[in-house]
Amino acid sequence: MNCNDSRIYLAAYFDDELDVGQSLRVHQHLAACPDCRHVQREQLVLRSALRDSALYAHPSAEFSTRIEAAVRRAARIEVRPRRASWFGSFRFDSLRWSLAVAALLAITTIGSFLIINGLRPSHEQIISTAVLESHIRSLQPGHLIDVPSSDRHTVKPWFQGKLDFSPPVPDLSELGWTLIGGRLDYVDGRPVAALVYQRRKHEINVFLWPSRNSTLSGSVKQENAQGYQILHWNGAETTYWVASDLNNAELLDFARALRGH
Amino acid sequence: MTSQEKLCSFEENISPHLKSAYNLAKWMTHSHEDAEDVVQEAFLRAFAAFETFRGEQGKAWLLAIVRNTALTLLKRKYNSTDMAHIEETSEDPIEPSPDPEESVIISRDREHVRHALQQLPSDFREAVILREMEGLSYKEIASTIGVPIGTVMSRLSRGRDWLTRILSNPVSSVKEEPV
Repeated sequence: MNCNDSRIYLAAYFDDELDVGQSLRVHQHLAACPDCRHVQREQLVLRSALRDSALYAHPSAEFSTRIEAAVRRAARIEVRPRRASWFGSFRFDSLRWSLAVAALLAITTIGSFLIINGLRPSHEQIISTAVLESHIRSLQPGHLIDVPSSDRHTVKPWFQGKLDFSPPVPDLSELGWTLIGGRLDYVDGRPVAALVYQRRKHEINVFLWPSRNSTLSGSVKQENAQGYQILHWNGAETTYWVASDLNNAELLDFARALRGH
Repeated sequence: MTSQEKLCSFEENISPHLKSAYNLAKWMTHSHEDAEDVVQEAFLRAFAAFETFRGEQGKAWLLAIVRNTALTLLKRKYNSTDMAHIEETSEDPIEPSPDPEESVIISRDREHVRHALQQLPSDFREAVILREMEGLSYKEIASTIGVPIGTVMSRLSRGRDWLTRILSNPVSSVKEEPV
């Protein structure tokens, strides 16, 4: 490396911006060349002179504050269009919100419907409840029987003109079930026949009305509610609900007697 | 980036370089008022363009904007004749004849240095200021000025030579000053 080459690289060497190879070559040249060493010393002095802090132009503190405020003002101004666009996006989002709300409403409605339906007692449960209440009510003094008679030929005609059907009134006395009378009741939105049987002071209410589905002849369903037994079955033409405080076995026996009749 | 995040990031990455911005602007415009105008405008430009900031070399990024703003102001402020002066600095300035053997001692007098720096053609001056006062690397200077690193190296080298020769013969270079 000659002096011309060295001068070209000296500044970069000085600034530590040369790669290792270049730096080494300049270094070797400086070691051998007093003239270039002289230039290097000058540059060191110059650097020192240029880095005099008094030459550095310092902004005033007041100016710094002013700039900071100007930037923050600019930031606030920038916020405004953003806020406008935020409203815009909100309007856009309001459509989404509407859809979301509608969807939620639909889900809620359907869900409620399902839940209510799930919670809502089935038709049979409603009737069962009505049957039980009716049975309990019938046990109140003076409520049990409209037509007190153990004679089925007295009870059965009594229903004529009071019901739109003629209820079967079987005589089960031979099986130990004494008919004590009948009355009109109201279950499942319709007037029904209530036959009252008795065994050992236990009253048995038999609610019956024409089956809606006459072909369905199901097995006996049992239910225990508030200490009462409730039986239900669909006969070929008649729906039967039986309520009593008799024990389950005896009441099933009664049901068999009634069905077998 | 929310506007609050932008402001925070700006104040973290850019605002600390206000001092450098003012220094460069002052050395470019030679006027306190112009320097303040340039810096204020540059800061607003920088804030508006902050989305383009990539989180590196905040100082070089800001100083590039300061430099462009200053050049715009100078172009607006001075007529085409002065512009010719600004632009001609890419050519070789009239340098004192190199004579290392005679320039044994260069002046470190502050006012001599200041004057020499003011006399230095702007292309060389800005390279020298960015390097010596702001401590930017060649790469950062290249990105600030918008020239290749080789050009940065060349301008720095010639700028220093120029200053060295002026300061080695302060009497001739500060001829307008009463001695």
